[in-house]
Amino acid sequence: MKSRFLIFVGLMMGLSLIAVSLEAVDTVPPLPSRFSDANIDEVPDFQKHVVPLLSRLGCNGRACHGSFQGRGDFRLSLFGYDFAADFKELNDPDSPRIDTADSEDSLLLTMPTDADIHGGGKRFDPAGWEYRVLHNWIQGGAAFDGDNVAKLTRLEISPTEIQFSATGEAEQLTVVAVWQDGLREDVTPLVRFTTNDDVIAAVDENGLITAGSGTGDTHVVVAYDKAVVPIPVLRAVGKLAGRRYPKVETPTRVDELVVEKLRKLGIVPAALSTDAEFLRRLSLDLTGTLPTATAVEDFLADTSKDKRSKKIDALLETPAYAAWWATKLCDFTGNNDQQLTNTSPVRNAPGEIWYRWIEQRLAKNMPYDELAAGIILATSRKPNQSYVDYCKEMTELHGDDRDHKISQMETMPYYWARREFRNPPERAISFAYAFMGIRIQCAQCHKHPFDVWSKQDFAEFSSFFSGVVFGNTPVGEDRTVYQNMLKDLGISKLRGGELRRELTNKIRAGETVPFPMLYTRAPRKVDENGRSSGSPLQEASILGGNVVRFERGQDVREPLMQWLRSKENPYFAKAFVNRVWANYFNVGIVDPPDDLSLANPPSNAALLDYLTQGFLDHDFDIKWLQREIINSRTYQLSWQTNETNQADDRNFSHQVPRRLPAEVTVDAIAMATASDQEAQRLHAEMKGRAISIASSSERFLQGNNSATFGLMVFGRSTRESSCECDRSDDPTLLQTVYLQNDQDVYRLLDRRNTGWLYQVSQENKWAMTGVGRANNSSNSTSKKPPANYAQLMQSLEKRIAYSRKQGNAALVKSLQERRRMYVQRFGPPNSADQEEPVEDNSNDENIVRRVLGADEIVKQAYLRTLSRYPNEQELAKCVKYINESEDTINGVRGVLWALLNTKEFVVNH
Amino acid sequence: MTIHKTCDGVRRRDFLQIGATGIAGVNLAGYLSMAQADELAASQGKNAIFVNLPGGPSHMDTFDLKPDAPVEFRGTFNPIKTNVAGIEISEHLPKLAQCADKYVVLRGVSHTLGAHRLGSEYVNTGNRPLASLEYPGYGAVVTKELTQSSKIADVPPFVAIPRSAQQAGFLGVQYAPLNTGATPRPGQPFSVRGVTLGNGLTVNEVTKRQNLLTDLDTVFKKAEQNNQLLKGMNEFDKQARAMITSKAAREAFDINREPESYAKKFGTTPFGMSCLLATRLVGAGVKFVTVSYGGWDTHRDNFTTLKTRQLPAFDQGLAALFTGLAEKGLLESTVVYVTGEFGRTPKINTRTAEGGRDHYPRCMFMLLAGGGIQGGQVIGKSDAKATAPADAGISPDDVAATFYQAMGIDHTKEYHSGTGRPITIVRNGTPIKQAFA
Repeated sequence: MKSRFLIFVGLMMGLSLIAVSLEAVDTVPPLPSRFSDANIDEVPDFQKHVVPLLSRLGCNGRACHGSFQGRGDFRLSLFGYDFAADFKELNDPDSPRIDTADSEDSLLLTMPTDADIHGGGKRFDPAGWEYRVLHNWIQGGAAFDGDNVAKLTRLEISPTEIQFSATGEAEQLTVVAVWQDGLREDVTPLVRFTTNDDVIAAVDENGLITAGSGTGDTHVVVAYDKAVVPIPVLRAVGKLAGRRYPKVETPTRVDELVVEKLRKLGIVPAALSTDAEFLRRLSLDLTGTLPTATAVEDFLADTSKDKRSKKIDALLETPAYAAWWATKLCDFTGNNDQQLTNTSPVRNAPGEIWYRWIEQRLAKNMPYDELAAGIILATSRKPNQSYVDYCKEMTELHGDDRDHKISQMETMPYYWARREFRNPPERAISFAYAFMGIRIQCAQCHKHPFDVWSKQDFAEFSSFFSGVVFGNTPVGEDRTVYQNMLKDLGISKLRGGELRRELTNKIRAGETVPFPMLYTRAPRKVDENGRSSGSPLQEASILGGNVVRFERGQDVREPLMQWLRSKENPYFAKAFVNRVWANYFNVGIVDPPDDLSLANPPSNAALLDYLTQGFLDHDFDIKWLQREIINSRTYQLSWQTNETNQADDRNFSHQVPRRLPAEVTVDAIAMATASDQEAQRLHAEMKGRAISIASSSERFLQGNNSATFGLMVFGRSTRESSCECDRSDDPTLLQTVYLQNDQDVYRLLDRRNTGWLYQVSQENKWAMTGVGRANNSSNSTSKKPPANYAQLMQSLEKRIAYSRKQGNAALVKSLQERRRMYVQRFGPPNSADQEEPVEDNSNDENIVRRVLGADEIVKQAYLRTLSRYPNEQELAKCVKYINESEDTINGVRGVLWALLNTKEFVVNH
Repeated sequence: MTIHKTCDGVRRRDFLQIGATGIAGVNLAGYLSMAQADELAASQGKNAIFVNLPGGPSHMDTFDLKPDAPVEFRGTFNPIKTNVAGIEISEHLPKLAQCADKYVVLRGVSHTLGAHRLGSEYVNTGNRPLASLEYPGYGAVVTKELTQSSKIADVPPFVAIPRSAQQAGFLGVQYAPLNTGATPRPGQPFSVRGVTLGNGLTVNEVTKRQNLLTDLDTVFKKAEQNNQLLKGMNEFDKQARAMITSKAAREAFDINREPESYAKKFGTTPFGMSCLLATRLVGAGVKFVTVSYGGWDTHRDNFTTLKTRQLPAFDQGLAALFTGLAEKGLLESTVVYVTGEFGRTPKINTRTAEGGRDHYPRCMFMLLAGGGIQGGQVIGKSDAKATAPADAGISPDDVAATFYQAMGIDHTKEYHSGTGRPITIVRNGTPIKQAFA
């Protein structure tokens, strides 16, 4: 596992960084031992020694000279990889930090050795090796040749993997740099060491790793020059690691790979989940939808052996599957309505097209690379299509039968239209996040601290995105066509907002209007400040790797797409596989899922490689990937832990309770409170479902209306900033307040016709009375009916029958309304008989009365909220609550309310 | 849980431990903030009210009049004297003129973002907006810094009347405001979604339901100790119950409980009633209240709009807010911050007969009061036609730093965004010393 991963690292970088055991053949000893001799005359190297030493001394840290403002008018590149800039700064003619004529007087030596004048305190001793290294470099002429930067071939790190067994154990790392010219040097004291979890392993600046109090596994990351290498550190949880590990079922390859890792750690996986747990979890994870009460009962009653995989197959074909995953793809591709304002004469249409376009293709199971290509290589106009024809086509798209027309669209151009993602660096960041699962924004300003990319790499990568333009007006000859169209529409004098409003009116009136469009041009060079210069670019490298030569007239995105979908690409398939995995396990195999960097290695590289390879071998078949993951026993494990796996949160030894995503929560409340029929409908069609809402943005969610308030409260992704963190699954006070006491929840509980409470009241002929009704006002409180109530109602019935016979529909309606009001206020006239069917139960003195059918009602309430039957105590408590309620329907309401507010409801488990 | 790293490779939860003597040695930023510590310790602000004026109020017609400027600039309003010698403001702000000793007028505040949304983000966060980052609003930062999540409070820490441009940004939704959604109306009961019981529900009924919930919510009991999520949800459950059934929470929003003599100063406009509610909430322990009062986008008919619609309510409501807080003894502990997203063009446009003023971020006004800020002074100055600051100018960042200093919050403190990027609370600001002198 180890060597496989590192070879992969090497391929990625075009270097070969292989950690092998240290053979001390001709290896130059480390600086401290060489420079312990006060009379040494060796002249150290700027790149190999001086800059890494300044790093070790903390000089180029963010709080010190590495800050973008510098400190004391002296600025070094953060993390010290910009050798030329650092060299220039040291030699700044206005305030030189080095003095080769009188080396001891160099500020580089005098400042950091004097605590009184140096704002950062004393950094090293004049008698120490650090001083001698810097001094000899200055005395030797302070040389640096920017044109001949030395190339690091690899780092050899020993040991390659560390296993601890007790707190306080320690292990020393040794790091040897192997340069292209064959020179080998022990650079351990010059390396930057960081730990990914100091509870398991702490590391000091000399590379000494100490076992902390925690068990499990993590990595210590070694960074020197351009290289970043993680070293796994592992400490078994109990005594069961290795040979003593019990026999564990591993029916699938995924299970084998997961358990292989667990065996090393001595972690025993949880038991299999129950059928009820499985169904609820699967429906919520795969389709974003709570199962109906009937579906739960059917599934529990099914005795066939393969009912779980049959259920998976069935759910993959539901409209909710496509709707939910379209929401997820809209999240990471950034479908944000604010970014899309003024990109179409029809407001909100771009975001809806974006969502629907993806949803339709997910339903058809279009391969992921094709789907991504439809976004990445999007164009507005078909080849040879005239501007006018394009505008006609777009105008028609916004007319009737939009769904069908969207299904005909080969590509979806709005990804490139977003207003704040039109300059190349912002596009590069959002593209890397969406399609590669990496965060390259660090490299915009300094060498990436957790990966190999430099500022230069970032700038070159950005230049790929300077060749795509989304504009309101066409270029070239079409500009005249555009202006003529406006003239023909009689609105050529209008500008800005007024023009947009008129265009909207015209298209509503069925007229063909000009549409904004996407086109490509030759890419321009983008400099380190993100500006693209005038001359077309000949070639650029993709993040320091493949160099792409541009040909005239070629769409610059094509080589990029080719590179992405090639089998060797280290990011594209992997990032998607990892995101899908994270959907089912709370964490990715790499976590966070948008941070596939060298310093953030996968918790189980073999597993990620297996799934990625399979995804590629199956030609990016998304449903294959879903099945492969959720048919595993690993996915179907219980959330209940044992002694060995209770602390595990990254090796998938049990399911992790996690809060439902915002859309899923909002839908689940609506589903749980819906009548049987309405629940069926919510499964069959996506209309009115939160998982089918296209738009999102911070502003959209602030709307404070019923459609968005719940989504805001539960943290729907704002899709603002190319980060998984735009979505929040954290619990908050407002969420609890919402579930317990918000008008939305009350409204759903008490809705007429489509609500379950209403259904219960109808079936049992109980009045929908009681407190907590959303639409009630002062008249809702149950009042004593008038003495002649029964008579009054009887005559009302008679009048209704009579009016109906007369064909006076209006009167019938008004009389029925009056009857409804009476019933609402006083209950049905015979409610005394219906509502209190008292049965004498002399065996139990506590129960003063018993509501018929309360058992069944409670069962139904459990099925529709928690997707399981209540146990005996739960059943008894709920029945008692209903029996003791003065108003029966209000008792049922209280039970449903309580179930909606259990953690079990809003936590997937 | 997710591990977030800063660019220095320091993980978020390590940050406090490492402090000044960690692997990176002495942390200079730490030194600098120590120098500030005295000033922060002297701060008196405990709560804050932020009055946002979306649309961008005209500075030249309110707090920065130029009676000697040419007629196409000056407009039709005249200055009047205030109760502080040497300070003059618009004749349509007579009540505010009578309490000018309570607040500081900042003139020549200047920035470059002339679009509503961007300008609004700037003045509501104290940081120039970035595409790749959503800065938290003042209220979210104050909530994070000045409340303890473990403490059960029965009033929410951050309330927006009726809603706010200040969002939680990268800090996360737990620091988002509770929106009232509406403004209170005179003589009518006022309730807030989720917090106060509506729908005929009684405390008794809710308590019964909550008891049933306690009985039923037991499945995760054993797992709760080892699970942050479940533990957190339990905490929030306790807090929510306290809030929903609490008399204090209900009464905090009930402006009818204010004495008539106090309430009537605020008038009966939505803005006045919002100010009344804001003072009441602060008195009840709410940390941060935003009041939004729009309608300032006077591209047309600037003078009529201001004179008849905007300024009378503004004058009465805000003056009552200052004097009301003082009367209750709350002005010392409550920082008040008043601003729109920009000023308006000094030169009057001629698109309509009367003329209007357009967006103008280069020169604007803001007001600050309370929490140790010394009222009765003007800080900063604009040039003869109010087209630019006459001196170096004041940036929104400087005002932000000043605000945080008044609240005892170190504005140089670092947070980490979701991607682990280190972000200081205010990136570029320096507190305005004169405000406290």
